[in-house]
Amino acid sequence: MAEYSCLIVEDSPMMRQLLVFALARVRNLRVTEADDGVDGLRKLASARYDIIVTDINMPIMDGLKLVKRVRSDPIHKDTPIVIITTEGSQEDRQRALQLGANAYITKPIQAPQVIATVKELLKID
Amino acid sequence: MAEDRKSRPAGSDAPGPDLRDERDQFLKKFTRGARLTEDFLREVEELHNRLRDLERENAGLRAKVQADEAVRELLSKIDLLEQEKRELLKRFHSVEAVNSEFTLRVQEVESEFANLANLFVASNQLHSSLSPRGVTRRIKEVLAQLVGAERYCMYLANAEGTELVPIAHEGVPGSELAPVPIQGSRLGETLCSGAAAVSDGDPTQGTLAAPAAVIPLSVDEKVVGVIAIFSTLAQKNRFDTVDFELFKLLGQHAAAALVSASLFATTDRKLPGLEAFLDLSV
Repeated sequence: MAEYSCLIVEDSPMMRQLLVFALARVRNLRVTEADDGVDGLRKLASARYDIIVTDINMPIMDGLKLVKRVRSDPIHKDTPIVIITTEGSQEDRQRALQLGANAYITKPIQAPQVIATVKELLKID
Repeated sequence: MAEDRKSRPAGSDAPGPDLRDERDQFLKKFTRGARLTEDFLREVEELHNRLRDLERENAGLRAKVQADEAVRELLSKIDLLEQEKRELLKRFHSVEAVNSEFTLRVQEVESEFANLANLFVASNQLHSSLSPRGVTRRIKEVLAQLVGAERYCMYLANAEGTELVPIAHEGVPGSELAPVPIQGSRLGETLCSGAAAVSDGDPTQGTLAAPAAVIPLSVDEKVVGVIAIFSTLAQKNRFDTVDFELFKLLGQHAAAALVSASLFATTDRKLPGLEAFLDLSV
């Protein structure tokens, strides 16, 4: 059975922990955590990931900048990106999707929604 | 014969009249016999034909009977298959019902798991800091990230027990927050009753005067403050079961975590010596 890898980029330890718990429900998914956009880019440079789950509001480098950088990276330009944010407006959603995000989830997150989104993007049953 | 010869004229070969009659009669008889034979042969031929027809008919009937038997066999097979199909459909429906029940149960378990994960993470975070600022930051994070609160404030009762004093807030300018008298205020009512007050309306529309939820904060069964969630994020338009569980958890752990962090800070973050735990055996 194929094994997948996921990079969670989130500055809040609590949200990271919650996402790790949620994504542990996806079989064969290995999760790596990053504290912010810069840490995320560092991890993306050293390994290949099948999916990225990122917050928007983060110190040092926010999620939208990270999406831009990932989309210009030849290795990860096609990697699915899930945005997780407190911003629930249609414009924010549109902006994230225009920058190249594949899905947009608003906080407070519902674990089943995160799981379903990740499974759908990875095409896992 | 001698008479015959006598009756014939002399020197003639022509038969006498008697012989002629005899011949004619014979010929007549022969002709009739031949006709009868012909008739008989025709009849035999007809009977042969009839027999062939009957044999053909018989073969046809036999084939038809065989075909009918095959049809009967097929019909009985169809009946059996229909019965089998009905049985299979019945089983399919029952398995489908079990399956959908199972799917529903799995969804419930997943949802329950997600709720427990939320509570575990919240509890874990509340107790993962021993600085009052760290605990406050985590309380705020639970409110913002897990509950979806947008504007909120945490109040603690003053030593006199007359006012609730704001100690941490988010989404509301500090200038709008003042100590709230315990007597005659909604926040004070919650402090006195010790029971969370959750508004029935849309929590996104809550105000400072009519908060969406007020949660009492207890330390050792004594209510020492409240958290007022004035309003929630736009996408959070109702409180779910897990939110009520989070309110309970915050009520029981937030103030305790804050108090223990404060006490730890007052001792210059020194851990108590072993002797402090020696008399704990029960």
